[in-house]
Amino acid sequence: MNIDGAPVLDQAVLAELRASIGDDQEFMVELVETYVSEGSANIDGLLAAAAARDCGAIVRPAHTLKSTSASLGAMRLSAICREIEAAGRESRAEALGEDAELARATWEATLAAFAEAGLRA
Amino acid sequence: MSPGQAVALVVDDSQVNRKVLARHLGSVDIEAREAANGREALELLGADGAGFDIVLLDIEMPELDGYDTLAAIKGDAALRHLPVIMISSVEELDSVVRCIEMGATDYLPKPFNPKILEARVRASLAGKRLHDLEVESAARQAELLKTIERQKDELTRFLSPQVAALVSSAEGEQLLAGHRRVATSVFCDLRDFTPFSEAADPEEVLGVLREYHALMGRLIVEHGGTLEHFAGDGMMVFFNDPIPQEDHVERAVRMAIAMRDRFGDLAAAWAKRGYHLGFGVGIATGYATLGRIGFEGRYDYGMTGPVVPTAARLSSAAAPGQILLSPRSHAAVEDVVEVEQIGELQLKGFSHAIAVVNVLGLKERLRAAVEAG
Repeated sequence: MNIDGAPVLDQAVLAELRASIGDDQEFMVELVETYVSEGSANIDGLLAAAAARDCGAIVRPAHTLKSTSASLGAMRLSAICREIEAAGRESRAEALGEDAELARATWEATLAAFAEAGLRA
Repeated sequence: MSPGQAVALVVDDSQVNRKVLARHLGSVDIEAREAANGREALELLGADGAGFDIVLLDIEMPELDGYDTLAAIKGDAALRHLPVIMISSVEELDSVVRCIEMGATDYLPKPFNPKILEARVRASLAGKRLHDLEVESAARQAELLKTIERQKDELTRFLSPQVAALVSSAEGEQLLAGHRRVATSVFCDLRDFTPFSEAADPEEVLGVLREYHALMGRLIVEHGGTLEHFAGDGMMVFFNDPIPQEDHVERAVRMAIAMRDRFGDLAAAWAKRGYHLGFGVGIATGYATLGRIGFEGRYDYGMTGPVVPTAARLSSAAAPGQILLSPRSHAAVEDVVEVEQIGELQLKGFSHAIAVVNVLGLKERLRAAVEAG
């Protein structure tokens, strides 16, 4: 999925997840909360690695954020993180700074989208 | 954990993924416990798997990744049987192939579909349950075999070897149930044993009996006799059952001669200690019923029929050193042994007198002695 075409929050993925857990609003909120705290740490790791041009260190936070974001429907952030992970694995250090900045901005947008969806207190 | 409930170990560095998986597993009654990386997972599994039934394993993880964790599990004999399902995103499919080559059972694509999750976990659990049952059944079988071997060992200590073998053989039940055939019964005991046992110290009496039993027991086994019972100094041995022996009378007589010869050595040693004991044998041949005799809780493999008391009475009638034969026993071995006529004996409890002979020795041996001058 290309970055620009990916929705910040894919309502269909979210609906599917919600249905699969028996439409449990409380659990959804708890899950998003977990995602936010885990995601913040990964964003921090991502930014720090990008600042240090450390291709090796950026792979793991990018990978994890890519995967968990996709689970919760945060498709644009997931797509950005896929790019970053690939750049890290291919040692393309020059791409890291810009991509990490994009990830941070998308992270903020994602949090706002979750709040709007009624999944953040 | 309820006994029927399966327990899964969910290994993923993402707490979001662990939560979703645990939730899905819980909804199909599988308990989930979580580990954030491979090292934590191996710690939880411990040395013996810690009761886990299945492992769901992410590939990219800090500290110890999915490959190394999988290798550790499959390289450990105590954990190898645990099914491992790899958790993977679509772009990790190449990695999944490698994991399956390393022994992973299956894989689970991200994002998780609860239906696929349940189907794959159930299939892997069924495989493990089958494996567990096989292991359990093999262990039970080994235990059973050990018990049978132990029982056989014990049996051979308490029963004649032939009877012990019979009890554990396929046709044993039929023979134990009782059958009729011609057999030879041998009774032997010590002369003057009762006055000796009254006069001597009990330790001395037991010592003498031990030597006597050890010697006689060896000769019984050597000649293929079945020891029915012994009581104090008396023994009852029979031949031609449960294993048929064409030469059963000759075996019985040769055994009696060997017993008498060897008893001479024992008696000489005892005489030096002041005990004068003699040895007598009675042998009779005829139809008898053989099989299980006794009652629930205590059975013997025994022989009944007139031939048994005949041999017993002949043994009582024998003077020290005599081996008395019934007419039918004598007829069967007259080419082999030299005898002397004792004459017609009226045995207690029998209506007719019978012609009894005493065995002097084996013809071959007596001839050799004469030739040697």
